Amino acid sequence: MPDLSEKPGLLFVLATLLPLAGFTLLLTVAAIRWALRPYAAESPTADAVFKALGGEVTGRGPAYVALGSIALAFLCCVVGFVWFCIDAAHMHHLEHDIRHYEAEHAEPHHHGPGKAKKKAKDEPADEAAKEKAAKAKADAKTKHDQNVGDYNRLTKNWEGALEWARIFPSKDNVADTKHGTLLTLGFRIDMLSAVMFVMVTLIATLIHLFSIGYMSEELQETVEDHEVHTAHGHYHRRGRYGRFFMFLSLFCFSMLNLILADNLFQIFVSWELVGICSYLLIGFYFERTSASNAANKAFITNRVGDAGFIIGLLIVWTYFGTFNFQEIFSRVRCPERDADDVILINEKPAGHSIVRAKTDRVLKTGRFVKLDSNGDVALIFPRERIMGNVPGHFHGPSSTTAVHDSPRSREYGFIPYWLLVVAGLGIFLGCVGKSAQFPLQVWLPDAMEGPTPVSALIHAATMVAAGVYLVGRCYPLFTPEVLLTIAYIGGITLFVAASIAMVVTDIKKVLAYSTVSQLGYMMLALGVGGWTAGLLHLLTHAFFKALLFLGSGSVIYGCHHQQDMLKMGGLFDKMKITALTMLVGVLAIAGTPFFSGWYSKDEILVAAFGFSMTHPQHFLLFLLPLVTAGITTFYMFRMWFMTFTGEPRDEHVYKHAEETPWVMTTPLVILAIFSVGVAWGWPPHDPEHSWLGQQLHHYSQPAAVDVDFKASHELLHGTPSYHTMVGMLALAVVAIGVAFALVLYYYNVLDPNEAVEQFPGVHKFLLHKWYFDELYSALLVRPGLIFAHWCSGFDTIVINGFVHLVAKWNMFVSYVSGLFDKGIIDGSVNLLADVSYSVGNWLRNLQTGYLRSYVLFLALAAMAIWMLLYAWATAMGGP
Amino acid sequence: MNELDPLLGYLCLAALLFTCGVVCMATKRNAIGVLIGVELVLNGANVNFVAFSRYHPNFQVEGMIFALFVIVMAAGEAAIALAIVLNFYNNHSTVDVDSADELKG
Repeated sequence: MPDLSEKPGLLFVLATLLPLAGFTLLLTVAAIRWALRPYAAESPTADAVFKALGGEVTGRGPAYVALGSIALAFLCCVVGFVWFCIDAAHMHHLEHDIRHYEAEHAEPHHHGPGKAKKKAKDEPADEAAKEKAAKAKADAKTKHDQNVGDYNRLTKNWEGALEWARIFPSKDNVADTKHGTLLTLGFRIDMLSAVMFVMVTLIATLIHLFSIGYMSEELQETVEDHEVHTAHGHYHRRGRYGRFFMFLSLFCFSMLNLILADNLFQIFVSWELVGICSYLLIGFYFERTSASNAANKAFITNRVGDAGFIIGLLIVWTYFGTFNFQEIFSRVRCPERDADDVILINEKPAGHSIVRAKTDRVLKTGRFVKLDSNGDVALIFPRERIMGNVPGHFHGPSSTTAVHDSPRSREYGFIPYWLLVVAGLGIFLGCVGKSAQFPLQVWLPDAMEGPTPVSALIHAATMVAAGVYLVGRCYPLFTPEVLLTIAYIGGITLFVAASIAMVVTDIKKVLAYSTVSQLGYMMLALGVGGWTAGLLHLLTHAFFKALLFLGSGSVIYGCHHQQDMLKMGGLFDKMKITALTMLVGVLAIAGTPFFSGWYSKDEILVAAFGFSMTHPQHFLLFLLPLVTAGITTFYMFRMWFMTFTGEPRDEHVYKHAEETPWVMTTPLVILAIFSVGVAWGWPPHDPEHSWLGQQLHHYSQPAAVDVDFKASHELLHGTPSYHTMVGMLALAVVAIGVAFALVLYYYNVLDPNEAVEQFPGVHKFLLHKWYFDELYSALLVRPGLIFAHWCSGFDTIVINGFVHLVAKWNMFVSYVSGLFDKGIIDGSVNLLADVSYSVGNWLRNLQTGYLRSYVLFLALAAMAIWMLLYAWATAMGGP
Repeated sequence: MNELDPLLGYLCLAALLFTCGVVCMATKRNAIGVLIGVELVLNGANVNFVAFSRYHPNFQVEGMIFALFVIVMAAGEAAIALAIVLNFYNNHSTVDVDSADELKG
């Protein structure tokens, strides 16, 4: 076990494993209780153990175990985060120095022999100066080596890996390193994962705390489920308090492991674990048909995405031979300088770009390719070299030959470009499923069947963000085509979801659609080059969406499980803390200046603006998020006004509504504070200077982003006024949204119902969620069912018929065979026996038992024999 | 042929004795009677052996030895047969061989 000070990255590993420990503990105890339950009545020992472990229904013990483990994990993460920030700054400086040195010392080679000659001419003139220069050079070299050493040591501090499974290639194949042979479990902390760790553990801790209150109903010996009707009235069951916290712990472990992973495979494993936790928690009230259907829907929809993910994984594994992110990226993206001088090219491709080439001709010696931006293959570069060990550089202008597979450049490879696109699209499809993007967005609103804290933790703040996280993480793997797809999918999603959110009346469904919409924003940002913006929005959104969901949970709990906003109204007086904290969340999501959402959303819009300025044909990618910003504001304020202001719509609900206990309001207050300030920086009025955004931008943003979106980034940097302009535009749109909400739902100047009647078609269209469910039902579910029925019919008639026919034929053959057996085989044996019997029976008459007759027989027999002998001898001719 | 003339007489005597013995065995119901028949048969055979040893050059020794064997065997046979008869009498209170039919099939 390495020392923590030598490997501080282990803090994050510890934080990941703590919830797993909690889960294991809870699972073991639950298993023992389950095993002992039948014997508790009979054996006093079993009864004592059973009672000691919680008895029939656990108390709050499981909650404390889960909360304790996640809170400890949070502490580890905070320590690790601070530590990492210090190291990251140090590493950034070192990296800068190293690059500077390398750039300087690579210079002379570039200019070739001409400059060398010139130098030779000057030689005798200043011997002393030259000596001095040599000394300075040696000093710089020492310093450089030390820097490289420090840098590599610091990098090593924050990563590690365990060998998990290895396949050994066949003997003839040992030299073939192209194919993967090793799966590892590893971690690599960068700023993105460090920040995500803190965010996930903090929100998870608060939601655990909230759940202690929210799930208290499950503490009872029998819980009455009002939504399940049986023949004997409502359905009664045992409380499931412990199970809930067990699942939450497993979920936390899976999510943290997903962030921790340094390779795609580990992410995939966690991805599935997260999916199964989501399934278990959506179906927490599985006796309700709607809940079990929603759980199935979520799981199956995610399977569609995961199929794509697996295709992506297979392509990556086949062509890159590894799942490790750093290795994949260094192989798919061009290095800044080339070690072996093997790429001899007309023009040096930009570092960190995907280099395409055209297959020229295939010779016996190897494959010759020509670099070509429309080529059919992409180059795979040699494995990553440790920084600083790079003596060479790109060769200057030279002959037309490009790369070939000579032994020297053995590690260069090619991947068909379309396969690289498919790999990117496949991985993105996985993200589409998990992050509920169009066209797989249908599962998330249904997932609201789970308990509200689950909706907050999984279906708003963390799990659905995993898709966005993975897109951000895999960014260098994506080709421009894939990025454009991501942007458009994000754009469509954010608009579709926001439009549906305008008409929904279930308070949780409004938030669900707003989540889908906000995830669309993040995807869009990643697709248009706003890497930092998208991931910053992921972080800020996690806080305010968790806040909003917990707020809605508080409202639902306070109103005794009433979720319909048409039955609420005027609750502000009853639940002031909930109302005020939710207002903070609404302001944050709407993008009110100085609230966290403003910083990230502004950045997204700016990035989208830059992209559509440089690619005018894609102006929709700016228009959609801009319009949707207004829609977002409208539906969020609509929700808040409908819930907390105006006249109470339902007296019964209003009369019994009350503020929730402190365990539930405390998380709300803490989340509200973070929702306001998490993205602050100095100066606060400039979204560019958000501290968190700056951290992500400097320490985590892949260099590839700036290369891929060079034009749009240069445009934005060149004209700072664009920022202001886009910001103002966004604020104007937001103001319009607020105005509409005020007019319709606060001052009641216009009756919302009348407004709806003006556009009945549109309203119906939105109320049916753009008919996605109906479409899928008609396109996939119903044909699936028909196909299943057809298969079932085929099974009954053809397969069963065939089986029955075979059985009948067998019976007939057996019957005939039986006849033969009885008649011929048995008959012959019996006949033999009968003959023997009758012969024996006749012979026994000879055994008279009289001595005299025996003597007579003897005498007669002797005489007969003698006479026979005599006759024989006579016949033979002699006396 | 002439040389063997005396032999013929002995052979006829032996055949007579043998036939008498067999008839005696086949007709007597008394076990002792049957034994006597057996003795007659054996002695008939003995007369044959002795006659051949006297009148046939090839069987001078063999005839004598066989005769002796037959006498010894007849003695043993008589002893065992009488023991059987005694035991039979003890069990059945009779020596009628017709009543000894327990082993009949």
